[in-house]
Amino acid sequence: MSTIRSLARVGLTASLSMLVVSAAIAQTPLEKRKYNIPTGMVASPVFGAQPFTQKMVMFEEFGTRQMPEAECTNCSEVVAPTDCSKSMNADKIDFTIKQRLFPMPTREANLSRPNPWQAKVGECIGRTLATSYIEGRPPGEMYAHQRYDEFAPKVYFQSVQSGARINGGARDAAQMHRYQVGEFGPGGLYHNTAGAPGFEGTTKGIDIRLHPKMPVQDANSVWTFDGTLPPKLLMARYGEPILFRHYNGLPISVAANNGFGNHLITTHEHNGHNPAESDGFAGAYFYPGQFYDYRWPMQLAGRDSINTDASDPRAGMPDGAGGVTKIRGDWHETMSTHWFHDHMIDYTAQNVYKGNAAMMNYYSAVDRGREGYKCHYADPNNANLCLPSGTGLDWGNRDYDVNLLIADKAWDTNGQLAFNIFNRDGFLGDQMTVNWSWKPYMDVRARKYRLRLLNGSVSRYFKLALVTEKGERVPFYMIANDGNIMEHAVPFPNAEAQDLPTQGIAERFDIVVDFSRYPAGTKLYFVNTLEHRDGAGPKDEVSLKDILSGKYKGDPAVGKFMEFRVQAYAGQDLSMNPADYVEGKKKMIPRAVIPAADLASAHRRTFEFGHSGGTDEEPWTIKTDGGKGLMADIHRVSAAPEMGQWEIWRIEGASGGWSHPVHVHFEEGQILTRDGKPPPIWERWARKDVYRVGPEPNGSRTVEIAIRFREFAGSYVEHCHNTQHEDHSMLLRWDVLRPGQTVAVPTPEGAWEGVYYEPTFVLPTWRTGRGTGPSPNAGPGAGALR
Amino acid sequence: MTSARPAHARRWAGALLAAIGIWLLWPVAAIAQSPWGRDYWPNVSLTTQNGGQVKFYDDVLHGKIVVVNFIFTRCGDVCPLDTAQLKRVQELIGDHAGRDVFMYSISVDPENDTPEALRGFMEKFDIKPGWTFLTGKRADITLIQSKFGLEPAGDKPATHSTTIILANEATGQFVKRSPYDNPQMLANLLTGQLNPSGRNSGSRQSYANAVAVATDEGAQLFRTRCASCHAIGGGDGLGPDLLMVSSRRSPEWLARFIREPDKMLAEKDVIATPMVVKFRNLPMPNLQLSQKNTAELMAFIDQESRKVMEERAAAQHGANHH
Repeated sequence: MSTIRSLARVGLTASLSMLVVSAAIAQTPLEKRKYNIPTGMVASPVFGAQPFTQKMVMFEEFGTRQMPEAECTNCSEVVAPTDCSKSMNADKIDFTIKQRLFPMPTREANLSRPNPWQAKVGECIGRTLATSYIEGRPPGEMYAHQRYDEFAPKVYFQSVQSGARINGGARDAAQMHRYQVGEFGPGGLYHNTAGAPGFEGTTKGIDIRLHPKMPVQDANSVWTFDGTLPPKLLMARYGEPILFRHYNGLPISVAANNGFGNHLITTHEHNGHNPAESDGFAGAYFYPGQFYDYRWPMQLAGRDSINTDASDPRAGMPDGAGGVTKIRGDWHETMSTHWFHDHMIDYTAQNVYKGNAAMMNYYSAVDRGREGYKCHYADPNNANLCLPSGTGLDWGNRDYDVNLLIADKAWDTNGQLAFNIFNRDGFLGDQMTVNWSWKPYMDVRARKYRLRLLNGSVSRYFKLALVTEKGERVPFYMIANDGNIMEHAVPFPNAEAQDLPTQGIAERFDIVVDFSRYPAGTKLYFVNTLEHRDGAGPKDEVSLKDILSGKYKGDPAVGKFMEFRVQAYAGQDLSMNPADYVEGKKKMIPRAVIPAADLASAHRRTFEFGHSGGTDEEPWTIKTDGGKGLMADIHRVSAAPEMGQWEIWRIEGASGGWSHPVHVHFEEGQILTRDGKPPPIWERWARKDVYRVGPEPNGSRTVEIAIRFREFAGSYVEHCHNTQHEDHSMLLRWDVLRPGQTVAVPTPEGAWEGVYYEPTFVLPTWRTGRGTGPSPNAGPGAGALR
Repeated sequence: MTSARPAHARRWAGALLAAIGIWLLWPVAAIAQSPWGRDYWPNVSLTTQNGGQVKFYDDVLHGKIVVVNFIFTRCGDVCPLDTAQLKRVQELIGDHAGRDVFMYSISVDPENDTPEALRGFMEKFDIKPGWTFLTGKRADITLIQSKFGLEPAGDKPATHSTTIILANEATGQFVKRSPYDNPQMLANLLTGQLNPSGRNSGSRQSYANAVAVATDEGAQLFRTRCASCHAIGGGDGLGPDLLMVSSRRSPEWLARFIREPDKMLAEKDVIATPMVVKFRNLPMPNLQLSQKNTAELMAFIDQESRKVMEERAAAQHGANHH
């Protein structure tokens, strides 16, 4: 009977939400509004919730464990859900998370066991699977882990992608701080995770809702890592290869998605220096019941050619005991703030919006996450930059180093997360969330903080200001752009900008704010000042005065969205002073020098993002090297740089007012020029992996970058990170070739029965590009390179 | 307690559970929770090429895997190519067509596209069963387009959206693609991802057998613009086999016909005109190719032709020796 009852309930809920959603979306005039926000839907109700009345949840660490030596003899495989339209059961997920890794990972995809859900899948989809495999990674050598013995995983973690559920506290013990250290310990600001009694030192009981006054999300409205909140964070160290066993625990029925999202997933570690088989290629997706083993080597780029004797103390890994284990590679390539998210072909926007996004902090000799310890500011021979973090742990202190995932969302009149799948210009929500909390507050100590800001939206660009209650700007420093610590800290306000520059989708800005400038009790606010009217791209910056006075009434996501409440600080702030690292003073991480000869002989390629002319007029296309505008086809290799060679990529937007935040996988690049001129100060010292083109503030029609690909080969992609553009279908595949390689990697195509391969084809310019050296018309900036 | 229940009640319960079991097994319609269902779509009346009346939601979309695009029969360039590309998709999906995949082309020029006009268009392209052409009231077609998130064509059919929609209404999946996508990708979607209970009939190549198809611009153009109608050495299709075409036609004639076949046909070109009659009165569309593209295409056709001739010669040579 329980089955019948629950089915009836599901049916009722479904028909109710169907009515509501259709009422919200059915009227075409919505698309004609001056502000089509939320895109094609009516405003999201807030159920009486007031802004800044809920405590923001902090990211929860996955926690890593040492790799087991041998196969587990009493472990079990993941258990299928009893219902075709439900995710894996909550208790089974927690069991899997806590259980040892089983079976042991293999270099090539594990085809030795069937999908443990095979029987259930057969029952749900109405046919018996002739074959099925436990791992969804494409089979054979082409997607085998590259250099597996050399970078054998030392630690691992597991997560099950699954529908929204109540957090069972399964990861409490895996937090590095164990809720015992610093601000996470008893009496600390972040010891209570949800701001209500009963959440001391645990996330157990946190459910999925955007505000306590808003409804709980249905299991198929939100799909996250573990199926839980808080959002998840991977704490990773350079030099320590990680295995991520990602289980797909989503419903077997593809229909069970409350209107958006696909149960097929592939996980991209955004800008990791990772081999292609672990990059989350858009076509290498896996099915419910399967896992995919991602192996992230955690090596510094340049490992094969620079600092090969591992003698440079700045290239290293915190050893957990106060020291640094030196590693090979170029310390100038050290990265810090990443995220990983779904990259399913055609469905990235829906799946990421639905919750498939986690963050990842890289820790290193220079960015140890421990202040006051062998600091660079005390002795230039010390590597540790001592950015605000904390002192209780040897590395990875997060007391004063906070990840903030900022994203707009929208929901239907039932409060269930909603998405318009038909609008290709882009999808905008009307409500702002931080770490999945709607307009939260956060307590901070009166001291310096590092805030790691990620734009996790589908199509919305931000421009963030930090202000006092009176509307005065709070000064701060940008210290990392796209997660890469810059050569120099950039103060804000500065001669080029009052507030942070436009932050496109997927861009990360790390900033250092000194809250000690304000007495305890002060309230400060993050304000979004960049207006959208539709999802195609942002319009103009709105004046802070008009926003704060309430005069501005346009885009509902413009305005204050997060409150900081300054609390007294009795400790000693031992973090660096960013003012000591501005231009003309000390350097943080200098950019790698590109020899002029290498630049002159670099292959030049051009990628034009736009609505192309001619007959391929449908949105959205990319023209490679002056060719035709093409839509995504993962069978087609548009460019094939050779491993180790410098390349100059010219990314162009088309005329017509569209904006595109272009993301190139695998390696960060240095911006040579924007529209032929030197880039603005926050990009001059930076290494980037998202390159905005478009008419938005701080944008330009063209960006020319220098980039090279080392250590690993295979199939990668480049795409617009307005993920609705990406899915329709502004994405192209490029492959890194080994020297002498002439055969392209074949194209994987997934099925319940297992992955098979289809032939790959290539563009005529795949190897040559368009010439060598910077564009002839690139202007003086290109020559001004170091 | 259970054992005390009368036998007929148990039987009834058993039958109910069995019915529920079947209902659950019936892949997706029974558990669909899609907001993109009956309440979203307009259930307007459309007319088929045979003059029959169908309801857009009940008969066209509901519970089906469909391909939907928008055409008009007087269209000079894009529509014939779209149609030819979709014809290729229909071939690739084999017996799925008309069984569990249904194709629909809806006119955006309903005043002119009578059922007769649609039938004529279908005959030209030798459209196989499983593909229905539809016309109707302009307002209704506009509504359908806007529901798909496409800019309605209004009274300018020539500027209509050429987007192809691949969908499974039962599972709430709607994917938008272009006529210039690789037909194999569209076929994979229709028989794979969009068809959870169907067998994927795509070829299963092992990675060991797969090699790069090194190609050039001409090959790329041929694959996306020509291959749906023309083969090189594979026999006549919707259009003539182009094997060694440069030995039959002058380069000037060929180049011009590739670039502006519509003009040459209007001028009643003596070579082209009878060809059209021979090939179902289906004129070659103007593909808006540049001179450069045309030269690349001609070079590719020559190169492929030589390759085919060499292979044939080699095969002949081999046969003579045995």
